Amino acid sequence: MNTQLLPASPAASSSGRPELSPPKIPARGWFTRQYRQRMLRTDLLTVIAWASVAAAIALWLADGGATTITSPAALFTAAGIVAGLAGMDLVLLMLLLAARIPFIDRTIGHDRALEFHGKLGKPSLYLLLAHGLLLAVGYGMAEGLDPVSESINLWVQVPDMWLAFVSMALFIAVVVTSLVAVRRRFPYEFWYVVHLLTYAAVATSIPHQFSVGGLFAAGTWQRWYWLAICIYTGSAVVYFRILEPVLATVRHQLTVARVEAVAPGVVNIVMRGRKLDQLAGTGGRFFIWRFLAPGMWWHPHPFSLSAEPVVNGQDGQGTLRVTVRNLGTGSAQLLRLRKGTKVALEGPYGLLSTAARTKNKVVMIGAGIGITPLRALLETTPFTPGEATVLLRGHTEKELYLRNEILDLCQARGVRLFHLTGPRSRGRSTWLPEESVRNGYSLNSYVPDIKDADVYVCGPAAWAANVIADAGQAGVRQEQIHHERFDW
Amino acid sequence: MKIRGTVAAALASAGILLAGWQTGTQAGGISTVASNTTAAGAPGATGTGTSGSAGSAGSSSSSGTTGSSGSAGSGPSSSSNASGTYKGTTVQTRFGPVQVQITVANGKITDVTALQLTNTDGKSIQISNRAAPLLKSKVLAAQSANVQTVSGATITSDAYLTSLQAAIDAANL
Repeated sequence: MNTQLLPASPAASSSGRPELSPPKIPARGWFTRQYRQRMLRTDLLTVIAWASVAAAIALWLADGGATTITSPAALFTAAGIVAGLAGMDLVLLMLLLAARIPFIDRTIGHDRALEFHGKLGKPSLYLLLAHGLLLAVGYGMAEGLDPVSESINLWVQVPDMWLAFVSMALFIAVVVTSLVAVRRRFPYEFWYVVHLLTYAAVATSIPHQFSVGGLFAAGTWQRWYWLAICIYTGSAVVYFRILEPVLATVRHQLTVARVEAVAPGVVNIVMRGRKLDQLAGTGGRFFIWRFLAPGMWWHPHPFSLSAEPVVNGQDGQGTLRVTVRNLGTGSAQLLRLRKGTKVALEGPYGLLSTAARTKNKVVMIGAGIGITPLRALLETTPFTPGEATVLLRGHTEKELYLRNEILDLCQARGVRLFHLTGPRSRGRSTWLPEESVRNGYSLNSYVPDIKDADVYVCGPAAWAANVIADAGQAGVRQEQIHHERFDW
Repeated sequence: MKIRGTVAAALASAGILLAGWQTGTQAGGISTVASNTTAAGAPGATGTGTSGSAGSAGSSSSSGTTGSSGSAGSGPSSSSNASGTYKGTTVQTRFGPVQVQITVANGKITDVTALQLTNTDGKSIQISNRAAPLLKSKVLAAQSANVQTVSGATITSDAYLTSLQAAIDAANL
């Protein structure tokens, strides 16, 4: 079926449900300004990232690096040093991208930050390998040794060098286990533990930078740069990945209030806590949850809020809600969560929020469990009645989770709503039901004005890619598409 | 917008690199400790570069100082109470060349000067600056190259002592 449930009518006020306080609609042009500012921040981050690599090399030059090139051997050595400096700088940038720094999250979003993090993996490994090889050749040439004996010499003779070799092996292990082909063969937990070795790899690489390389030598410019970037990276990782989650967990004191069935294999987990007013506006964004029960506490779950936090007591007391589908062994346990289980949280993360808006009009396209964060966003993101459209896709009506709540919200806020059900189309527009495509419907038929709207897409990766391709063809520009990976 | 960011980043990086290059070449980097201060003016210490490699002394333990090149200072042989200055071989290490010169008066080493010391980077220079005075006083006390290396400066020490041994050989002490 392909049902238009609601026409684009102004908000019907007599819904009979407790009245939502509708979000304040900002002045025209506000979203454009917000977008420009975000792009400015993106450019700033780009400049900082490039400039940091340039600075690492420039400071070496400033300390007379280029003046040491007096022979072919010295040329190899210098190239090796430059590769090492750039490699180390990239590794630190990768750690910063994965540190969940709010400024980065607010600007490009958690998933894009991790995407860049992944893209830097191979280049930094290549630079570090080049660093090792070039120096073995350069040092070897200076002493008349072949690179292999020189490497053995370095290992045996020079203090801290064996640690640097260990560090290199760890870096190789981390990058190899992150390759898509390799990663698929192992469970997430294995990859995660190997990935933690990155910190060991960085830690074991630092001694030789002190004793053999001159990165921290007194009287050099480099010393201050490397001290600053290392200390900043270290503290950012410790603060945002460890300290802040602990503080948030203590601050909100979340416990499981109830688990209610939504559909077969899908539940709402409602949590009670305090100071939830501080989390206002986070509906749709995701948190990483840990349910502190035996056998579960170590398993992190990235779930988006499926409703805006509800505050109804003193000190911001209230409830949060996530909607979860039984996807794996980890999620299966969640269906049987006990009331009163304590919950640790990290977040909010991601840009599936009003912060990503660039236009006044909004389109939300969700499939399966991906519908649920859109439900929360629909509650809070500002638009005038008639300027929003919601498309829900599922095999059957039953798979359109929270459809009744969404219907109520659409009625209250004046939103066009379509339920797209039935078997999927083969051939073009595979994100649509077969019936719609056969009848000649495309994205534009549902949302004629889509090219002037922000398009939020949430659902399985292949499905979402298909939606995004269609949206692009309909004239939606890249910055208007807001998509977050959901199939973790 | 993406182009703007990339262009800005490229320009900033180029500027930073250029500034670094300028600073590095104008300041000439960090000054090295070694300098040719002692003039080899004493009688008898005339020629350098006649005899071949005196690097055999360096084949001891350290392969960090294996390759030795250059020339040993050749003073007038025979007498054990030679006087003058004698240059050791230039020993190549992975952190730069090392060469020392000794001043001999009446068969005694009265001074050791480092003509070149490991200097490839800030850290090497730091190590050299620390090790050279220690080695010098040890050598002056022992009157030979058979002294302990300075810990944390093994490569510099080995090269220093190898070059020193060559200079001692050249002086026929």
